[in-house]
Amino acid sequence: MVAITSLACKRSFETMSIVLVGVNHKTAPIEVRELLAFSDEACTDGLRRLVDGEVVREGLIVSTCNRVEILSTTKEEQFEQSTERITQFLDSNRLPLDFLGRHIYTHRDEEAVRHLFRVASSLDSMVVGEPQVLGQVRHAYSLAVEAGTAGRVLKRLVHHTFRVAKRVRNETGIAANAVSISYMAVELGKKIFDSLKDQSVLLIGAGEMAELSARHLLNAGASRLLIANRTEDASRRLAEEFRGEAVPFPEIGGSLSEADIVICSTASPSFVITEEMTRKASERRRNRPMCMIDISVPRNIDPNAGKVPNVFVFDIDDLESVISSNIREREREAERAELIVQSEVMQFQQSLRLMDLGPTIGALRQRMQEIARSELGRQRNQLGPLTPEQESAIEQLLISTVNKISHPVLNQMRRFYEASDPETMQELADTFRPEE
Amino acid sequence: MKSLLLAVLAAYLIAAIHSILAFINKRRAVQRVAEWSVAAGFVLHTAALVADWAIDGHYPLFFLRETLSFLAWALVAGYALILYRYKAQALGVFAMPLISVLTFIALLIKSGPQDTPAAFSTTWLFPIHTTLLIFAYAAFFIVFMASVMYLLQERELKLKTFGAIFHRLPSLSTVNQLATTSAIFGLTLLTLGIATGMLWSSARDGRIWHNDPKEIFALLTWLLYFLLLIYRSSASWRGRNAAWLGVAGFALVLCTFFGTRFLGGYHVFGLQTFF
Repeated sequence: MVAITSLACKRSFETMSIVLVGVNHKTAPIEVRELLAFSDEACTDGLRRLVDGEVVREGLIVSTCNRVEILSTTKEEQFEQSTERITQFLDSNRLPLDFLGRHIYTHRDEEAVRHLFRVASSLDSMVVGEPQVLGQVRHAYSLAVEAGTAGRVLKRLVHHTFRVAKRVRNETGIAANAVSISYMAVELGKKIFDSLKDQSVLLIGAGEMAELSARHLLNAGASRLLIANRTEDASRRLAEEFRGEAVPFPEIGGSLSEADIVICSTASPSFVITEEMTRKASERRRNRPMCMIDISVPRNIDPNAGKVPNVFVFDIDDLESVISSNIREREREAERAELIVQSEVMQFQQSLRLMDLGPTIGALRQRMQEIARSELGRQRNQLGPLTPEQESAIEQLLISTVNKISHPVLNQMRRFYEASDPETMQELADTFRPEE
Repeated sequence: MKSLLLAVLAAYLIAAIHSILAFINKRRAVQRVAEWSVAAGFVLHTAALVADWAIDGHYPLFFLRETLSFLAWALVAGYALILYRYKAQALGVFAMPLISVLTFIALLIKSGPQDTPAAFSTTWLFPIHTTLLIFAYAAFFIVFMASVMYLLQERELKLKTFGAIFHRLPSLSTVNQLATTSAIFGLTLLTLGIATGMLWSSARDGRIWHNDPKEIFALLTWLLYFLLLIYRSSASWRGRNAAWLGVAGFALVLCTFFGTRFLGGYHVFGLQTFF
């Protein structure tokens, strides 16, 4: 018992360091990143090799198209060795080390935590606020769990990371505004119709961007999709794929009045939708608003169609300008996200210190309870025969007395600890150490 | 009751400031502060009105001071409903400062020593008449604000400027629906208000119409909003035109509300003092 106590006391002050080594799209070109990338199997195998339980205690690999990062924990005093070990491991392709050194970054403790929080919150992404990266971090964590290399500290860190990412997403508008052309139709549609539920979409022409837009609109709740294409085969193929209705190309004018949202992307050199067609369609729609998006160059929708009341026409340049306005908006939100990350980093650091404290306090408490039990054992004979209930009542009595007496002392230890004064705390802990 | 109304004003001011801040920096926490202040202000305001009624012994809607306070209260009630139903927080940017100003003016006006003439305090028709009309004014004010928001957002979309307004104002369909619903409410209340006024006046002196400026303006207002709703439902006037009508209509509402004070007539009861 004595041995355990002192061991626990000692272990808690063997402070762990968090180390993060990696490259990302800002520090390394794709040629370097692709050499370093890990497949899923390579991840688990690699982690098992990397984590030796001595220099590298825990490990996790985030490998995406934009970054390869290794997160690990080590003993504080072994930081240098562990960084070296990880760098060598990362460089399994034997790139010239000084070459890799130009691209690689190493973060320690607070910086490493901040980096991970920023990555998962999509603040470090190519497009700030993109939603995929959190899933990638989640996947990386499940691989580390599978490999058995996610230990006490990493588990806590990763769970905290998920919480931070969620907070950033909920409390800032970092991902609120669309930054891709294909998603713009949804965003503009929502500004006009509020909800896309039960709205009809007319897709004219094909092309990747137009199809993607249609897909986003349907996902956002649009209920009906009309498809018009010069080649009927293409119309039918798309109609089948999206469960839409094919419309003969010459009848676009008629279908126009049924569409709340029009997406136009054809190779036609002249206007497919004229002002006149729009005016008629709007009349037949009894002036209900229409949102027309023209992503073709040269333009397929007469810009004058936008002069018809309650008709809103956007060409590719307009979409680009919304996107750049949205990016500015996201950047403003990112500044707020950084503040959240900053406060969460501090919170995490504190919770980590408390985590170190946990075993010390637990061991102390157990040591005192042990004393109470052994004293009871010594005096047991004096008490005469007792029922099991009475016996356990006496034991409870002793233990709760001991707990109550030690409680303020333990609290005091906690306070010293939180005030970053481990020496005084240690002195207090030592007061309870049995004399050898 | 001044101190209670002062607390109300404080709550509304906090709500106004936080609504504007939330509009600018889009923080939910700030918006929450605004909404809680609206709620607190509304509860206190209700208490202030009830206390006024109990202490003064007449329905707290007769003197100008009371009228402005009651109007502010009705607007807050309307705004709270809209927050709940349409989540159109941006409305607070326009509504809360105005509500604060109304409350402030109500505080400034000295409460006269006069008592309500018996003709007004004994019949129950008169308070109903005034209450219905105050709520109608509040509803028309909401039509006005929704119409302004519509015009701003529509302009942004047509000119493709995509600035702060584009990101912050509700969608066209939301403000359009808000304006329509409020106009329906307003017109219904105005109709009932005019009807009860006629009933009251016929009971009082046997006449239902006095050719008084307030009555004429009320009739014009009624016609305008009636037209607005007809146009909206027949769909030949949607969006911009209807929104402009909603803005113009409010000028008439203001004339109706303040008209008598400057033009005199039957609706001047000789007791009110403006400032």
